[in-house]
Amino acid sequence: MKDSLKICTVCASNNNRSMEAHKQLKDAGYNVNSFGTGSAVRLPGPSIDKPNVYEFGTPYEDIYNDLISQSCRKMYESNGLIHMLDRNRKVKSAPEKWQNNAYAGKFDLVITCEERCFDSVLDDLMYRMYTKEDADDVRQIVHVINVDIKDDNENALIGGKGILKLVNMIHEFRVKKSEYEDESEVILEDQMMNILANWQKDHTHLPTLYGVSYY
Amino acid sequence: MSTQEENKDYIKPLNEARTLAFTQPKMFPQVLRMILGILRNDNKEIQEWCIKFLRESFVNNDKLGHADKVDLAIDSLDSLIYLSNIKDMKTFQYVIDISSVIYKLVFQYVAENDGCNQVWSKLTELKNSLVNKFQSNFPLPPSDNVEHDMLRNIHTKVELLKFIIIVIDYQSQTTVVNASGDSTPPPSTFSLNKVSPDHSLIKYSNMEYESKSLLDLVLKIFSYDILIPPLLSAILNHSIIIMKRKPQYANKILSIIEGYDTNIKLQSNYQTVEQFKLAKKYVDRSLKVFIQHITRHALVPPQFQNSLSKKLNLLVDRGIEIRKKNIFAIDEPSIKKRKFEGFLNPSKKLKTIDYKNLYSLTDVDDESNNFDITTVPQNILVNMVVNALNKVSVGRLSKALEIISDRYVDAVESYPGIVGGPSTVPITVKKEVKKEGDEEDDDEEDGNFDVDTIYTLPPPAELSFQEKKDHINIIIKNFFNLAKNPNFVNVEDKDEVKASEEQDVNVSKELTKIAIKSWKKDSWIVILTRLASRGMRSLEGIEYKTSPDEKNAEAISDMVRNAIFDYFLENIHGRIDLIIEWLNEEWYSEKVFNEAIALKREQEAAESKGGPVDTAHPNLGDTPVYNKWAGKVLDAMIPFLEPNDRKIFIRLMSDLPYLNEDLVGRIKSLCFDPVRSKIGFLALQFLIMYRPPVKQACVNVLKELGESDQEDLRDEANKLYEKYK
Repeated sequence: MKDSLKICTVCASNNNRSMEAHKQLKDAGYNVNSFGTGSAVRLPGPSIDKPNVYEFGTPYEDIYNDLISQSCRKMYESNGLIHMLDRNRKVKSAPEKWQNNAYAGKFDLVITCEERCFDSVLDDLMYRMYTKEDADDVRQIVHVINVDIKDDNENALIGGKGILKLVNMIHEFRVKKSEYEDESEVILEDQMMNILANWQKDHTHLPTLYGVSYY
Repeated sequence: MSTQEENKDYIKPLNEARTLAFTQPKMFPQVLRMILGILRNDNKEIQEWCIKFLRESFVNNDKLGHADKVDLAIDSLDSLIYLSNIKDMKTFQYVIDISSVIYKLVFQYVAENDGCNQVWSKLTELKNSLVNKFQSNFPLPPSDNVEHDMLRNIHTKVELLKFIIIVIDYQSQTTVVNASGDSTPPPSTFSLNKVSPDHSLIKYSNMEYESKSLLDLVLKIFSYDILIPPLLSAILNHSIIIMKRKPQYANKILSIIEGYDTNIKLQSNYQTVEQFKLAKKYVDRSLKVFIQHITRHALVPPQFQNSLSKKLNLLVDRGIEIRKKNIFAIDEPSIKKRKFEGFLNPSKKLKTIDYKNLYSLTDVDDESNNFDITTVPQNILVNMVVNALNKVSVGRLSKALEIISDRYVDAVESYPGIVGGPSTVPITVKKEVKKEGDEEDDDEEDGNFDVDTIYTLPPPAELSFQEKKDHINIIIKNFFNLAKNPNFVNVEDKDEVKASEEQDVNVSKELTKIAIKSWKKDSWIVILTRLASRGMRSLEGIEYKTSPDEKNAEAISDMVRNAIFDYFLENIHGRIDLIIEWLNEEWYSEKVFNEAIALKREQEAAESKGGPVDTAHPNLGDTPVYNKWAGKVLDAMIPFLEPNDRKIFIRLMSDLPYLNEDLVGRIKSLCFDPVRSKIGFLALQFLIMYRPPVKQACVNVLKELGESDQEDLRDEANKLYEKYK
């Protein structure tokens, strides 16, 4: 897509919510990455106290193979876990950790899928603010938005659609205002609250958070 | 060639230069200096290219060595100061980025090279140019009110914040809080600590003071009575640097956060209730994340730990509470709107060309707009208007008028054919006249207007003779008021001064000279005398001096002459020059005029084949008007001459353009007076010697005086008569 902001989606394990949104945004043509803020990738296991834990960077392919090799493969198929990993491996190779994502460059728009993740992203950006100092570099503005999505297949799909709609609105508001008197009408920072409120009206089940940070 | 193609031609070599710089880093400084040279360009595209290149050169550019970068940064200061005042969003954003890098480089340079005053003052100028724009809406123009401006152009404010934080960081001493482990800033981080305490330019106290003031400027956003989530969160997120490195400012930030409560803020008039509800939630969350971070990283001074912990709990509870609900469905009767100070329709563009849209500042859809105010009796209307004008503040009224004037200007520019004003079509006489009609009939329907009709101005109502005389009187009075005005501004006529300096002015040049090229102290007399002499005469209109028109004109001329004469009498000694000038003009114009009439007569006579020559007007070359007034002047003057007025009298007698026996004869009375007879005889002698045409007249006077019964007089006269006869 022409003039796409550099976007990333973020959830805890970079498997379900952030990956569904990643896929939808990617399919729509946006420049998108995705990350997880958890300490490790945690997927449902045979029981609640026995999750499947992988390190970030473990390829989706490997996780997929691991799960179908386990005895409760049927359970993973019925709860959608296999389908999810099958989707993920077609989107990108492995889950990535937010805290170590400096290699991916800076993003204009970060969309988190859970309040905890939103807090983590902002907290991490603050930390980077005073621990990294590059005299040649300049800080860049980043918009961080949280769209709170329940961590299951169905809600990930609904959330992903909502995120796509929101990203579309953020990109299209200028087009709709081809004729304006006050340049403020086409400045994203001036219009962001308006866009979020309009979007929120149609998505009351997806509560939002928003903040501006730098890195 | 189209402009775009032309630009391509310009941009191509620029791109080549850029490639050269990046492929051969040795050439980089040379290329960059070349770009600085063409940066002040009227061509927008070229200027944009240059700014982009400048950003590439300073931000994240490893092709340039540190020393080169510092040199180039210093060389770029002037250009950046210039660019920082260009009203363009993209340009300004680039300027902020470039300045962020350059500021650090040059500040360190000055710190290490004491005494480079010029570099320091340029850096200070650039810094001030940027930080001063934080409170304005630059590069956008201000809107119609302060509240709206708080919420406009947040982008630039958020960008400027980056630069301001750098300045605060550099211009204050750093003491890293909780400096252990990997949370310590890299040792290369510069700050005031690294500047020599006795640096002559970078003074600790000044720097710290400025940093504190800048921080106050930033934190002022928290004291606003409305919520601006993007800006507030950006400040919180950015302030973390200060919390980590500047414990001397921690109190300032934390005491504001301690007392900050989104619940007491007001809904902006430029926010919906939904936006306001979201704003409260968002700002609360940013505060929560900030407090959590500083708590976890042990950046909270002991005196704030208790209160901030309470604050954090409160914010966490609020967040949990609101998360469970549909935020828009929560009933919040406590929400109050900020007092509205703007206009509901502040648009500076006229969407529909009519008076209603031009003047309306109320909501476009407001029903009250349809009320027909002409139904209100005039006296009530006048009261309403007077009351309204009494109550309205001057600022608001002038803002309103400004909006309306902007709309009008916009309409004139957008609809040049429809709305009056300076037309771009070359004005012909016909158009001019038509416009006159247009203005007259502003309120009438345009349908009656016939394009082909040529309107003419009505002739002025004819003035009666008395009215003319009255007006002439006013004109004359004004002239004399002007003459007597002590605060007179003298506009030098350089040509004339030059000519008189050159001394070789020939006569014909004098005659063809324009009487008044610039207004001088005596210009009024030229105008007035010409009004009296030439102004009232016309060759065509006056056939004979007996016509009633001519008589009226003469009467008016005589009014002017009398006025000049009276003016002269007020001060005979001081105004002799004026009289000489007037009588010269009188004689000259009369002479020329009468000669022209004589010539006309001759031609007419020749055409009627030797018809009878008009004998009713003999001696048309004579100057009866001049003679009359010259005589009056002499009569008026002679009785008042003092014995030592010799010079001015002789001056008058020598400079009068024409003398006859009658005029010379008036000297006689002077000779009869024993006290002043010397003046009389001296004048006669002078005339005999220097004005040969009147020699005989003078001799005749002497002869006449020689027959006088006064002994002294008779002797003197006879002596001279014998000498000159």
